[in-house]
Amino acid sequence: MRRKHSRRNGSKALVNTILAVICLIWLIPTLGLFVSSFRPASEILGSGWWTVAPHRENVTKDQIQLPKDTDLSQPIQVEDQTFSDEQLRSGVKASDGSTLVWENRRARLINVQEPGWVANTTFTLDNYEGVLTGKTYKLKQPDGSERTEKGSNMSRAFLNTVVVSIPATVIPILIASFAAYAFAWLKFPLRKTLFVVVIMLLVVPLQVALIPVSNDFASLGLNGNFLGTWIAHAGFGLPLATYFMYSYISQLPKDLFESAYMDGATNFTIFTRLILPLAVPSIASISIFQFLWVWNDYLVSLIFLGGQEDVQVLSMRIANMVGSRGDAWHLLTAAAFVSMLMPLAVFFGLQRYFVRGLLGGSVKG
Amino acid sequence: MIKTKAWTTSLVAVLSLSMLLSACGGNNNNNTEPSPAGTTPAGTESPSASPSEATGGALADALAGKFKGTKVTMFGPFVDADQVQFEEAIKDFEQKSGIDIAYEGSKEFEATINVRVNGGNAPDIADFPQPGLLANIAKSGKVIDISTILDQATLKKKYNQSWLDMATMDGSNGKIMAGIWARSSVKSLVWYNKKEFEAAGYTVPKTWDELLALTDQIVKDGDPAWAIGIESGAATGWPATDWVEDIMLRTTSPENYDKWVKGELPFTDPIVKNAVQKMSEIWLKEGAVYGGQKSIVSTAFGDSPKVLFDNPPKAWLHRQASFITSFFPEGLKTGEDYDWFPLPSIDPQYGTPALVAGDIYAMFNDRPEVRAVMEFFTTGESIKTWIQSGGVIAPMNDADPSWYSTDVERRMAEFVQNATAIRFDGSDLMPGAVGAGTFWKGMTDYVSGTVNLDKAMEEIQAGWQK
Repeated sequence: MRRKHSRRNGSKALVNTILAVICLIWLIPTLGLFVSSFRPASEILGSGWWTVAPHRENVTKDQIQLPKDTDLSQPIQVEDQTFSDEQLRSGVKASDGSTLVWENRRARLINVQEPGWVANTTFTLDNYEGVLTGKTYKLKQPDGSERTEKGSNMSRAFLNTVVVSIPATVIPILIASFAAYAFAWLKFPLRKTLFVVVIMLLVVPLQVALIPVSNDFASLGLNGNFLGTWIAHAGFGLPLATYFMYSYISQLPKDLFESAYMDGATNFTIFTRLILPLAVPSIASISIFQFLWVWNDYLVSLIFLGGQEDVQVLSMRIANMVGSRGDAWHLLTAAAFVSMLMPLAVFFGLQRYFVRGLLGGSVKG
Repeated sequence: MIKTKAWTTSLVAVLSLSMLLSACGGNNNNNTEPSPAGTTPAGTESPSASPSEATGGALADALAGKFKGTKVTMFGPFVDADQVQFEEAIKDFEQKSGIDIAYEGSKEFEATINVRVNGGNAPDIADFPQPGLLANIAKSGKVIDISTILDQATLKKKYNQSWLDMATMDGSNGKIMAGIWARSSVKSLVWYNKKEFEAAGYTVPKTWDELLALTDQIVKDGDPAWAIGIESGAATGWPATDWVEDIMLRTTSPENYDKWVKGELPFTDPIVKNAVQKMSEIWLKEGAVYGGQKSIVSTAFGDSPKVLFDNPPKAWLHRQASFITSFFPEGLKTGEDYDWFPLPSIDPQYGTPALVAGDIYAMFNDRPEVRAVMEFFTTGESIKTWIQSGGVIAPMNDADPSWYSTDVERRMAEFVQNATAIRFDGSDLMPGAVGAGTFWKGMTDYVSGTVNLDKAMEEIQAGWQK
């Protein structure tokens, strides 16, 4: 008995270790992005993000100036040794253990390097400033002087995304919960068939619906406003939400409804007083999925909402921030973290519902 | 149960709050449907009308304030800084006419415009950087024929014939003028670090041989001569196609170039192979390119010219279109720190042609105020402040050379005007499967060394069969 116990403990530790390693590997790109978001663009180009940590690297201790007319195609005499140009390009070990490498080949200048501890610690908040307060544009005036114009900041896009995300999360989940209750516990004709249709909709990619839906929206005047986007998101999100809610609600114990029914509760009362409170954990989890999906969505907003400033969502704003030809790519690092804040807040806010099972002890006695 | 109530109340509160917000924000962006006013008599202007009368059409009405309070939607691929420039350039017109030009920029323009047009949600005006893409849409008959709304004689005065020819495309029944050219840029430019270039005693090459000699000289002096990078995400390879097009223009006749763009001259033809071989004289030359042949494919096109401005420069020459200056390190002075020379002539009989690119504006909804805005875009005035800020060349003849704020930009405009031939970027004219597909891919494979020249050309040519 005891042996068995310790063996289980051992395998648990093993599983935990493996999970920890996987988590770590998973987090490394995010960590790299986070470090990069504080580095100037030129630094990001010049060295990897990991070089911000102290590490061993060849450090220039001295320089050797060769005669300007040194022929590079011949073996090159450096002090008392000879090297080829190829060796000096990639760095070569001299007899005293130091490394020789070209500093300026044109000027025939060689660096003498020795290993030492270094860390790249040039950090800046410019990326975040550019993202949060808007970029500055220089405009030349007819008289040749320069005027700077401050671009708009992210607050409008942030607000628009909130306006899109919250109803686009609440509407489908509300409908899905009703539908899931009906599919699970009510008896009506074609129930099975309808449910199979909902399941089948799960595999339909939303891209195939873009043009037909856009056509219908155009005749209803829904393109380019929030209502249309809510409807689109609700429609695309419903199959999964319904299926998800169904699988939870259908597992609730039957006795519960029977006793409520005996007490004279209507279906609506059962739904609002019993199902909703009991389903909070699963509502919370599907809410997180749906919210994250809508928050990060680019395609649906691009097609149905468009990019006019008054409706533009965060993902489009960030994509446009890099400029027509992507010359401000370094802002993406900071923008990614800014746009991540809200989903993180939602996740941690709803997370406790995952753990709290309301069902515990509800059918006792 | 109190908990449930609180939960429901907060839900209702959140819902109503966001609906309220949206009601404030989204009430004025829903008037893109074509109004019944699409059949105004402005399209029936007699061809014999004198130019002065013709220009006194929709634009004059607009400036007289007839369309005050109307809105014209625009959709295009330029965003951020370019959008600021654009809005600055049209501000004056908007104030005078009272027309609100609502521009919407998207990095995914190419992918979105088809969905928008087919989904009945077309913008009034769309900005196409690739005429090939517009040609595809024009075939469906959804693009409005400009020649029915703007006077031909006036257009002929405003644009060189080659621009008008490039705007003429196949409609659903017969040829139509699918759009008007609003901006252009020159591609055949070789950039260099002027201060260092002069300090090193180099001179600007006038012929291909001189260019190769300069390359050798720089290599001999200890540096790689060229900074080349063709990495551009999904579009990796496009800078290589620009090189091939530029060299094609310099090694064969413009007629052959046109045939090549149309698919009548295959990539496997010796003429095209010769052009790629000429390019290889620089690209694949040992030590001539910064980072070596392998790094060309992995270096981002926008990052590649930065080494020109290192101290000391790590490379000396960079061939790229005029827009590349926006990637140069900040604080450099145009004309002092950097300058350009045209990619030199290879075969004297073809001179030094100019490879250009440009943006063509197409119209999807016919309303009087949209006509007025389109007519406004045919005037140099519509991009005046943009020209002053730099980065664009006016395709219209009425743009004053004095608008260019620097000599560097003015010389670009002159270069295009005096070029022996002007041709549009070929890969933007070819069908997407080739121009934005196998041509990019094949050149990338060739440069990275995974396939040889013959194989690469076959690979590219296969795109025409798709």
